[in-house]
This record gives sequence, C-alpha cells and structure tokens, in this order.
Amino acid sequence: MSLRSTTRALPTLLRVGFADAVAYRAEMIVWVLATTMPLVMLGLWTAVARDAPVGRYGEPQFQAYFLATFIVRQLTGSWAFWEMNFELRNGTLSMRLLRPVHPLLAYAAEGVAAMPMRVAVSIPVAVIALALVGPTGVNAKPLLWVVWAFSIVGAWLLTLMVNLLIGCAAFFFESSLKLMDLWLVFYFVLSGYLIPIDIFPTRLRSFVDWLPFRYQIGFPVELMTGSHAMPDALVLLARQAAWIAIFLGATRWAWRRGVARFSAFGG
Amino acid sequence: MKARYLRLLAVQLRASLLLGMQYRADFVLDALVEVFWMATAIVPLLVVYDVRSTVAGWSRGEALLVMGWFTFLQGVLEGAISPGLATVVEHIRKGTLDFVLVKPADAQFLVSTARLHPWRAVNVLTALAIFAWGFRLLGRAPTLSNVATAVVALFASVSVLYALWMLTVSAAFYVVRIDNLSQLFSAIFDAARWPVDVFRGAVWVMFTFVVPLALMTTYPAEALLGRLAAGTLAGALAGGVAALTLSRAVWLASIRRYTSAGG
Amino acid sequence: MIRVRDLRKHYKVHERPPGLGAALRSVFRRRYKTLAAIDGLDFDIAPGERVGFLGPNGAGKTTTLKVLAGLLHPTSGEVSVDGHEPRRREDAFLKKIMLVLGQKQQLLWDLPPSETFELNRAVYDVPRAEYDARLAELTELLQIGDLVRKPTRTLSLGERMKCELTAALIHGPKLLFLDEPTIGLDVSMQVVVRDFVKSYNERSGATLILTSHYMEDVEKLCPRVIVIDKGKLVYDGALDALATRIRPDKRIILRFSRPVDVADLAPLATVLRHDPGETVLRVLKDEVSAVVARALAQFPVDDLTVENAPLEEVMSELFARGRPDPERGPPP
Repeated sequence: MSLRSTTRALPTLLRVGFADAVAYRAEMIVWVLATTMPLVMLGLWTAVARDAPVGRYGEPQFQAYFLATFIVRQLTGSWAFWEMNFELRNGTLSMRLLRPVHPLLAYAAEGVAAMPMRVAVSIPVAVIALALVGPTGVNAKPLLWVVWAFSIVGAWLLTLMVNLLIGCAAFFFESSLKLMDLWLVFYFVLSGYLIPIDIFPTRLRSFVDWLPFRYQIGFPVELMTGSHAMPDALVLLARQAAWIAIFLGATRWAWRRGVARFSAFGG
Repeated sequence: MKARYLRLLAVQLRASLLLGMQYRADFVLDALVEVFWMATAIVPLLVVYDVRSTVAGWSRGEALLVMGWFTFLQGVLEGAISPGLATVVEHIRKGTLDFVLVKPADAQFLVSTARLHPWRAVNVLTALAIFAWGFRLLGRAPTLSNVATAVVALFASVSVLYALWMLTVSAAFYVVRIDNLSQLFSAIFDAARWPVDVFRGAVWVMFTFVVPLALMTTYPAEALLGRLAAGTLAGALAGGVAALTLSRAVWLASIRRYTSAGG
Repeated sequence: MIRVRDLRKHYKVHERPPGLGAALRSVFRRRYKTLAAIDGLDFDIAPGERVGFLGPNGAGKTTTLKVLAGLLHPTSGEVSVDGHEPRRREDAFLKKIMLVLGQKQQLLWDLPPSETFELNRAVYDVPRAEYDARLAELTELLQIGDLVRKPTRTLSLGERMKCELTAALIHGPKLLFLDEPTIGLDVSMQVVVRDFVKSYNERSGATLILTSHYMEDVEKLCPRVIVIDKGKLVYDGALDALATRIRPDKRIILRFSRPVDVADLAPLATVLRHDPGETVLRVLKDEVSAVVARALAQFPVDDLTVENAPLEEVMSELFARGRPDPERGPPP
C-alpha cells in the first residue's frame, strides 16, 4: 500500500465512486432531502426573530445562516462511518485490506467522488439563499472567500476523520453506532448547527471554542455570513488545522491497532 | 375470524417479548441513547426561551407539551410501528416475503405485529416527565376533559403515524434500499418537536395537510391545554381514518406489484 | 389436482449498461426489455403424485412453482390447483399448501423453532389436539426432539432444514412445494430429507412438486419429471424413459481380477474410463448383451454392472439440443 500505487489508482477510484453515486441517485436525493434540521431551525429561529432580532440576527440573518448551514452540511457531510461499520459487520472489510490502496484513502476518495453530485445540489440552494437574503447577508470580501474555501476543505477532512476514528471503535466494541450517536448529539448542539454560536450564553461560548465541533460546520458558515474579520478568521483556521492534525493522528493510530486486532481474530 | 387474529396477536406479542428478553441489554442502551438525543431539542428550546417568552404564540411550558407528545409518539413509533414494518424490508432483501404471502392471514397484519420493542415504553415515562415540567411552568394541571380530548387526538396521531410509516415501507417494494427513506421520514418527523405555528406559509400548509405533523403533536398538546376546537379534532380523526385507508390501499397495490413482477 | 394450460409469464427488466456515459444517461432515461420466464406451459398433475421440475438455471422452474403457489401472477394462461385459482390467494387454498425454499427459512431466527411452530398453529388455525399429534409424529420422524427448544441461529443447516420441514408441515397440507430443498446440505442430510419427503408423501397422499438442480433428488424422489428450458416444456413423463430416449447408450462397469490393457478393450466398445478398480464402457442399448457376452468370454471379469447414462449427461444433452417441440414420454 504505497502512496504511489494509491495515486495511480485514484482516477479509477474516483470514476467508480462517481458512477456509484449516480447509480444510487435515489439514495443520494434522499440523503440530501433528509438534511432537514437546518430548515426546521430556520423555521424556528425566524419565528423567534419575527418580532425583534436576537442579538445581531434578524429574520434575514437567520435565513442566511441556516441556508448556509444546509450548504455546508451538504459539502462536508460524510457517511464513511456507516460504510465502515457495515463492512466490518459483514466481513467485507477484509477485501479492502487486500487491495493495494490504503483503506482510509479509499474511503476519502469515495467521499470526494460524491462531491460533484453534492455540489450540484447545493448550487440551487445557494442561489435561492442569495435571492432571499441579498448581498448584505453574505460576506463580501473575496480574500475571506479564499479562507472559506480552506475552511470547507478542513471541515470536510475533520468530519471524515471523526467518521473514521469512531468507525475504528467498531474493531473494539459492539455498539460503535451508539458512540456515533453520542458524537452527533454533541455535534448538533455545540457546532452551530442548531444554534448560531454567538447566540450561546457567554460562559458556554468560551467552552465551545475549545471543542472540535464548531470547526466541522459552524466556522465555515460564520465565514459565509460575514461574521468574522480576517485576523479572527485566520486564528480560527489555525485552530481548525490543529484539530485536523489531532484527529488525523488519532485515526491512524486507532486504525493500526484496530486492523491488528481484526487480523488477529481472523476478520 | 376476529378471534383468530386476536390469537395471532397474542402469539406475536409473546415472541416479541421473548426476543426482548434476549436482547434486553441492547434495548436498554438504545432507550438511553434515545433520551440523550432529546438534548438536540431541549437545548435549542431552552436557548430560544432564554431570549423570548413566547414564540409564535407558544410559551415555554406550552412548547414543552408539544415536545412531550413528540417523545411519546417516538416511543410508539420505535417500539410498536417501525420494528414490525422493518421486517418487510428485511423480507424483501432476503427473499423471504414469500413465506409471509403464502400464509392464510393478512400480510399487513402479520408484518405489523411481527416485532415489538417493549423497552421503548421508557419514552412514555420521559414524555410524562416533560408534561409535568411543562405544566409546572404553566402553574396549573390539565383538566380531566382535556386529558380525554388529548387521548382522542392521540388516536388520530398514532393512526397517521402508522399510515405514514406504512407508506414509507411500501416504498421498499420499489426501491429496496430504504434505510435512507426511513431516515428521511425521521428527519421530517423531527419537525414535529415544535408547535406547527412556528412554521409559516407553504411550510405550515405542508405540515398541516400534507405530512400532518401538526396533527401528530400540536393538536394533542392543544387538547391538553384545552385549546383544541371540536371541529379541528373531528378533522384530525377524519384525517387519521383517511390516512389508514390510503396506506392500506398502497400496501395492497405494492403486494400486487410484487406478485406480478416477481420477488 | 393441478391443471395448467398455456401458462405464460413475462417480465420487464431495465438494462443497466456499464460505463460512465451510460450510467449518466440512465439518470434521465431507462431502457427496458421483456423477458419470457414462462413461455407456454401445459401439464396436469394428479393428487398424490411426486413430480420434479428440472431445467438449467433461469429455465423457469422456480417461477412455475411460485405461480402454482399463488406467489406470482401469470401474464396469461389457466392455472387451477385443487379447484382454486392460486393468484386469488384464498385462505382455503393457502391452508392446503406448504412452501419450502432452499437456503431461505421461515423459522424465526433468534427464537427456538417451537415458537415458529406455535405461530404457524395460530396462523393456520390448527386445533390443539391435531397440532400436538402431528408435532409429535414429525418430531419423532425427523429426530428433532432436543433441537426445537434451541434458538434457530444455533442450529446447523441440516438441523434447521429439519425444523423448517416441521414448521411447514404442522398444518397438514395436501400440496408440498419444495424449491431446491437440499441445496447446501451435506450428503447424509440430503438423504434424510429425501427419505422423509418420500415417506410423508406415501403416508399422507400429499402431492409433491419439487424443483432441484441435484439429479439425485429427482432420481430418488420423482418418478415423473417435467423438464423446462427457456420457459418452455421440453419433456413431461417418466424419468428413465427420458434417459433412454435422449441418451440411448448404456454404461457397462467392469472390474477385472487381473490388469487389462486398454488397447485390448478398444475393439470391444468405447472406453470411457480405465482405472485399476473400475473400467467404464459406453455401449449402445442394442449392443449391450453382445458386448457383455464378449467381455465375459475374453476378459477376466470379476464384477459387471449395466447402467443407464448418468442423468447429468442426459440433461446436458437435452438442453444442448434446444428442442422446440415438447416431448411427452410414457407416464411412470
């Protein structure tokens, strides 16, 4: 499993992944439509802001925020955990281990391959959002859009790492699904997904700043809605990178240990 | 004929209980995780009512009632409705639906009663706790007639919930891989945590008439508060009956298609 | 008992061609083609008969069986089973039939087979006395006494099949539909299943319809075969008559007391196999006595047997020919 053989396999992996994504188009659409939480929150928070804004969020700001959340969720979501869990339970993980491509990279490639379909879905939503909100609701500085691009890649990577790390728990525990459920609860509540971070009471906010969840979704969304100036944005980007590094290390370690155990027990 | 089906129900219940005994650790863990998931609704609710005293005409205590009914219905869904109907998907995947169809009993009845998770009754307890919390915030208790009306509204809710889930599962005859569809259902059902008045315009219409989440959680809550108009209740019951009829028709059509197209 | 006239079953399947371009196009437009799984079948089966449906993979045997059981609606044609139209799936009809599908089971997985038996008792409305008697009988015959209380998932495949048979027979059906029942079973278990099914048929007079890939099943169980290929009837009649008609050669199996050179055997007949323990000659039917006489005269023969061509060969021959007109052989 060398980097070179992986690089050579990459185009095929991507092509097959894309064909797969197209073949399972019905499932794709359902996945997209199942991202209802931002839209439900949109309804809730605009109802809250109907009479008066909450902090700096009036109705249009909430609309911008949650539509941005929908888009970022589309672009950064990963289902590698469920795939990994499924394959481990079936025994088909062994087949991945036999291939000359590192399985973690294969999962990553599959995620990348699904991107075109997901971007295709996000574009109409982005257009609607812009129409509803107007240019003031959206960040106007081009340099910050560059930072945003990095933050999206970072968020995608981070979410993938989380998926794979918790997926590795399946090597050791029966109930890894519950673990993912646990993570998801924290993720939904503390990442800015359900509640914009700046609405949180202040003592909770400083706590949340140190957790990885915000860098999975809240941070890119905040950049899109123009919540941060450049210096702030760069600091947050650095924090995101730090979390990615931590999870990358943890995932590789967990994977090695997990595979060793898996092979020892005959798969 | 009725007696036979009652006996069948008893046998199925027994089998489910035996199964539940075997996997009780799993089920208890499931129930606990379920309670933990409630944080994704309670926390936003608390934050919202931290900054406002009413939202769309609902106070905190009142909104909690809606959330309580949601928890209750979720228990009914995951304890009595979805496990049985999930067996349909399994049967289609494994090719064992033939065994169900070859039996001299109604297939919908057989699959609906095939599996129950009695541990989900913990949701009922949680719901009652939330009701207690809500009414404490409101500083009063529901009257007996309110409770009675709520129970009637509940029949409509459960009927609609069952019918919707049946429709989702019937999709398995066409799409086979419906894990996503059930996820879609859960995702949309999620919106029922909040009073329907929170949503406006087209969305409000959708949640009242198309995917009647309003019927499922908002109306029982209004009933408990003594705010549910008799006309609305009648409409809800009619809706429940209509939903059951529709889902039965779709199920029969799906079976017809299955037996024409071959399993 | 069973009457089938001009049965047809067509399917529309959508094509999924390979390649990225085709995959993209299939997002927008799907192409369908029609498959004829059953293409005009006619046959009658009397009560108490044991009939085997034979045919290559995809021939339509399982499809035919499912039509008879009411699980599939025919596209056209007449099907009557004990006076019922299977597709109507009347309760009275369903109570008369049983279904066993190889490698699939109706037994509840995590619970003991006894739970499935109880469930079936409730579903089929079997009176308690009748149920107890029949359960005792089946348990005795199949020797599953201590197995029925263990969860199904802990039983071996053979044990599961025995319990599966019990579950399927608990309501005393008149019609037994078995689709590849011995697939995946080891040899001894195959024998158990065959013997049991045969004796059940003989005792109860139930009609048996069996589909199988294993020639052994058909040879041992079914005096009558209906051969189906590409949805059409190819042969309907006695099994041995089929063998004789299609492959009119016989096999002579010899064992010699002293080693014999294969070159010496050649003028006698075609030598199919010449091993130290066994020599197999292929001989046309009319020449059997002549060859036997010469073999006994010229060679040190220890043991001699005359057999039909193995069924596998007959079948391959039959399907290779692709006969358009169905043959009706003599009844068994």
